[in-house]
Amino acid sequence: MNPPLFTTRRDFLRTTILGGALSWTVPSFVAQTFQALQAQADGALTQVQTGKDGPILVLIQLAGGNDGLNTVVPYTNDFYHNARKSIGIPANSVLSLSDTLGLNPVMTGFKGLFDAGHLSVVSGVGYPNPNRSHFRSTEIWQTASDEDKYLADGWLGRYFDNACQGCDPTLAVNIGPRLPQAFAAHTPTGISLENPDSYRFIGAGQNDDETVAYRSMYSTPDDPLPDLSSGGGAANSGGSVSMVSGTVMLQNGQSALDFLERTSLDAQVSSDKIRAITSKTPMRSNYPRNGLANNLQLVARLIAGGLPSRIFYVSQGGYDTHTNQRGSQDARLRELSDSVKAFTEDLTTMGVFDRVMIMTFSEFGRRVQENASGGTDHGAAAPMFLIGGKLKGGLLGAEPSLNPKDLKDGDIQYNTDFRSVYASILQDWLKTNPAPILGKAFPTLPIVATA
Amino acid sequence: MLDPLPGNRWNTETAAHLMNRAGFGGSPAAIESLRALGLYNAVSWFVDYERIHDDTPAPDWAHPDPDLIARREAIRNAADPETRRILQQQMYQEQSAHMADLRYWWLRRMALGPRPFQEKMTLFWHGHFATSYEKVNNPYFLWLQNETLRQNATGNFNQLLIAVAEDPAMLVYLDGANSYKSHPNENFAREVMELFTLGEGHYTEQDIQQAAKAYTGWGLSKDRLRYEYHYFNHDPGPKTIFGQTGNYSGEEVLGLICAKPECSRFIAERIWRFFVQDSPPEACVAALADVLQKSNMDLKHTMGVLFRSKEFHAPEVIRSQIKSPVQWMIQATHQLQAPLPTQPMSLVMLRQLGQELFQPPNVKGWDGGIAWITTNNWLDRCNYAAALVEGNRVPLPGLQGQMRNLLNSTSPDGLLEVQPGNLTSLFNPGELADGQNFITALQSRFLNAELKPQRQAVLTEFLKTRSPLEETDIRKAIRLIMCMPEYQLT
Repeated sequence: MNPPLFTTRRDFLRTTILGGALSWTVPSFVAQTFQALQAQADGALTQVQTGKDGPILVLIQLAGGNDGLNTVVPYTNDFYHNARKSIGIPANSVLSLSDTLGLNPVMTGFKGLFDAGHLSVVSGVGYPNPNRSHFRSTEIWQTASDEDKYLADGWLGRYFDNACQGCDPTLAVNIGPRLPQAFAAHTPTGISLENPDSYRFIGAGQNDDETVAYRSMYSTPDDPLPDLSSGGGAANSGGSVSMVSGTVMLQNGQSALDFLERTSLDAQVSSDKIRAITSKTPMRSNYPRNGLANNLQLVARLIAGGLPSRIFYVSQGGYDTHTNQRGSQDARLRELSDSVKAFTEDLTTMGVFDRVMIMTFSEFGRRVQENASGGTDHGAAAPMFLIGGKLKGGLLGAEPSLNPKDLKDGDIQYNTDFRSVYASILQDWLKTNPAPILGKAFPTLPIVATA
Repeated sequence: MLDPLPGNRWNTETAAHLMNRAGFGGSPAAIESLRALGLYNAVSWFVDYERIHDDTPAPDWAHPDPDLIARREAIRNAADPETRRILQQQMYQEQSAHMADLRYWWLRRMALGPRPFQEKMTLFWHGHFATSYEKVNNPYFLWLQNETLRQNATGNFNQLLIAVAEDPAMLVYLDGANSYKSHPNENFAREVMELFTLGEGHYTEQDIQQAAKAYTGWGLSKDRLRYEYHYFNHDPGPKTIFGQTGNYSGEEVLGLICAKPECSRFIAERIWRFFVQDSPPEACVAALADVLQKSNMDLKHTMGVLFRSKEFHAPEVIRSQIKSPVQWMIQATHQLQAPLPTQPMSLVMLRQLGQELFQPPNVKGWDGGIAWITTNNWLDRCNYAAALVEGNRVPLPGLQGQMRNLLNSTSPDGLLEVQPGNLTSLFNPGELADGQNFITALQSRFLNAELKPQRQAVLTEFLKTRSPLEETDIRKAIRLIMCMPEYQLT
């Protein structure tokens, strides 16, 4: 028997967890969210109008370095076929996007989205002086830094720090064990959860007296918790305090104990909230069975349940294809394409596809020339996918040359800086000025359909 | 500044504080023995650890593999892709097993070895000179670096810096082994000044470029098994660094760096943050930097002064630090007087809690402080506490994908096996006689302090109807105290 969940406003208040000081002891996202839950309890299972129709960005990290050339295939390019004698994809099997580019044949889901105008391909995305180390290049993408600069904060963390001071707090949710560096911020932002079932205090015993006792820790209103978010300029930092990397000093004499009390409260409240949402939002059956699909399904349930988040982050591994690439990469791309297709159908059914943009990225593409093991080694520029109900769709960015004389150490040279894609999303989707977040101005791409 | 703690403030609380910070905590009996030594000798017991014999054997695989190159070539030249895949898989599995072994070997040494302070310093330097398996990809090199850190842990900082710089793991991690006279790689040259010695703002881009030339010639032997100096690859020409010009070697440049007052300051600040406080008061850092500099970068002397100082034992310092996952786990086993969890269990916990040894998140190491705690790993800490105290009755969260594979590969059956000790025996009959006595004993053993009243009330309420106390009640009460905010502090 599970302990009761906070599912309605009345339940929520009755627990006395919030005491009488709701407005300042509890992160305001909690207040927002319980209104959402309240609205949901009152009504039908539709997207609760909270977060006020705010746009949502879902990032999908393709970890390991996805080979762009066998994802979006330049099928009429002789340089491609010459370099990929054993793993090249024959021109007649690609899913054509244009006279020159076609999708890997397993990506039928993406092809459908492209044909419907919901998918854009940005060709040749990278950055100057590309680094071939997984971890360093990942860090560059996560922090949006120059190749020779080390930044502590992530690009999304800076989005929260810069764009959201004084505005309603937003919540970033990572589906996975650890927060991605992209979330690292001066002001704590975002929760990480791996599995909603285990995102809770797990009690023991027949009557679960442990859980009852644990929960009673949060029910003493006469010693209210200090408000950690009241530090300089960071009012309403809200977001469940799941501290990320980045050197954050406790402000205004807040002690580590204050921080721990606050985080444990946030953990308890967000745990209840997420379980309330997932218990009310049924699983849909149209998802394939794989980890990515499970995680996207959870994202859909959280959106449907009214979690007022702007950013969701999921990751798919297995792209480091040094050997036998065709089998393994095709399997990953099929998972990606099928899972995203199911996710977009789910979002469409719920009437929220227009509020969602999906962005895929990988730390680098791979070498043009296949290696002797039927695989490819670490490379540089590669395409990105952007998917959403309100996207312009189509092909963006100049296709890179595969002519050996145009390659750098065997790698594709980028035409579009990845920070141009970030800038476009920040400006045209999240509606914020990208320059302070990215450190400088980058040209933007027309990604969003103009009304 | 940094004057010795007055004798009348040396007591169980300050002894426990020293034990937690210079080591990894201890049982009430161990703390009492330390207290009985008096401050001076207690600090000596930690710091002058050479007097304590340590015969911990190296892992049996921890030696250069003379077949490494041949095996790599065999993979490269495999007759067919299937053979290649199998060979690669073999190598990968062997390396993964060695890494798991290395992590647990070190964790055990930290928890059970005879020289806790040497291991604590080694952990400090591991975070400082952060080097990851993710890039080094060679368990032997990481073990070797771990030994280098241990052997030089409290020697002279300048010597430590040179030893780490010329160690194969660092040469691979920051590309020193791929730096050539004709084309110096600046990765190490930049990081050594930015992250290891001076901090940003105390050097120029030109200093980096010039220093990179001096470091050329440091490389790996042809068999890639050890450090080797390649004079033919060293740029012997003049370099201008910090405004001085000379035909510097790499070692000489590191000497120039260490001689700068900013270096003492930087190291003093790092030490203060790790051992004392997250936000070090400026005057304290300056005083410690002064000790470091005046002792010619003698770390043992500096740490001794620190641990005996009033500032280290200040009331606002005691129990103000959020436990790292390693500290959390080892201190818990000391308090519970229980063995470490099994290898797979320990490694899963540390990884999930955000401190996978030999795999810091990046070249900056672990941020520490409040960065250790997220909502997710708050709940993990609560649930892992249950595993430590109550055994595998409690399902562990978060065991998916890679982690489950790791467990399955090393421990097919005893997946989550934890065998908590007999916890009743930790308490005497008087302590178990009534709820209030028991709460006092719990606080003393697990916090060396009192809980806030509202959390004492939680325990009082929980224990109210349980008399006499049974083993399960004791376990649950311990688990509850381990899920309280105070418990995360040391």
